[in-house]
Amino acid sequence: MAGYANPDVLVTTEWVAEHAHDPHVRIVESNEDRALYTQGHVAGAVEIDWQVDLQDQVRRDYVDRTGFEKLCRDNGISNDTTVVFYGDRNNWWACYALWVFKLYGHKDCRIMDGGRKKWQLDERPWSTDRVDVKPGHYTAPEQDGSVRAFRDEVLKHQKGGRPLVDVRSPEEYCGDRLHMPDYPNEGALRGGHIPGAVNIPWPLSVNEDGTFKSAKDLEKLYVKGAGLKRRSPTIAYCRIGERSSLTWFVLTYLLGFAKVKNYDGSWMEWGNCVGVPVVKGTTPDGSPA
Amino acid sequence: MSSVAQRIDSIVEEFSDLEGREKLELLLEFAARLPALPPHIVSRRASGDHRVHECQTPVYLWPEMTAEGAKLHAEVAPEAPTVMGFVAILAEAVDGRPVDEVLSVGDDLLDRMGLSQVLGILRTRGLRAILGHVKRGVLAASTPTGKDSP
Repeated sequence: MAGYANPDVLVTTEWVAEHAHDPHVRIVESNEDRALYTQGHVAGAVEIDWQVDLQDQVRRDYVDRTGFEKLCRDNGISNDTTVVFYGDRNNWWACYALWVFKLYGHKDCRIMDGGRKKWQLDERPWSTDRVDVKPGHYTAPEQDGSVRAFRDEVLKHQKGGRPLVDVRSPEEYCGDRLHMPDYPNEGALRGGHIPGAVNIPWPLSVNEDGTFKSAKDLEKLYVKGAGLKRRSPTIAYCRIGERSSLTWFVLTYLLGFAKVKNYDGSWMEWGNCVGVPVVKGTTPDGSPA
Repeated sequence: MSSVAQRIDSIVEEFSDLEGREKLELLLEFAARLPALPPHIVSRRASGDHRVHECQTPVYLWPEMTAEGAKLHAEVAPEAPTVMGFVAILAEAVDGRPVDEVLSVGDDLLDRMGLSQVLGILRTRGLRAILGHVKRGVLAASTPTGKDSP
């Protein structure tokens, strides 16, 4: 973990194995495929699902403050609990869940580096036991606007020529595709990217074993390569805000960027908005490569 | 031999009494029963043209119409047990039955099983796309001009 701006935000599988039953720690699994948790999870870990638990089931938004408080209490999380997230697919849903926890100002949130993949590679045991949870005590503040960008702010940011990171696949960025290769098209009417956005596909932040790349490699990718600056307010987006949560996590905690927001409306909003600027092609401004 | 509708009804009944976690456990039991690909499909597997593109993970479906009726061969990545379970349910339900019975499976299947609430809107949509794929595949395989006909 050496060299990261906030090394404490990552914990190893060994740390998790040691602390899974620590009353001050709650391990939370968040997956793309919910049945994975049922099939086997870290003993003592609860599951928080990004679709069913974290999102409002009527409006396109997250659960409100009261809903978040209830979710935490039900999962044995109190305001001072250390919450460690992990999951499938290189932790992208884990980072998304962590981001929602930060949206509600939860103090101590961490990621188990490498997620399910690394746990498996380290040959650690999976449990199918139900987890008995002692309800937590939780009061949440209103959402923290410093981590979340809405459309109008993104538009202003774009017009001001400020840095944007599009973390989708190159095909989606170019406008050849409206969704990830082999993923469902959730219905964007236009393809392309927000003018000025650099394209750094999210998997580039992760090693083969699911762990995050070294601070040096991340620095090379985002700062030296893409020219992003630690002090410039930066907005990350993808298709529905999940892959960009991982990039938001990397920029904020591993590289120490001061002001990064995740635009969770992402392409599923922007690609349907009337009158917003869109460019196609491989370059940020859409000019021929 | 029971019809597709009868089999679906009995599967729906099995699921409907269970709470969320138990539904997923039952789905995993179905997933474990998904048969391995037969040799004549394995040889065609490399082409990749049977991939379900609406789906969240690598899923390959080969719906066939044989003299004995419909047959659904499938391969699903182990990291997607939900999909594997749902595909296994469809494979069991349509096995050996005529095409019109396969086509009659309602798109509300996941709602009836109570899985839509457990899985959420986006995953339910992905699974519904698989059902559509199976129906279209069986239909194509049953018509003489269908590219999948033997």
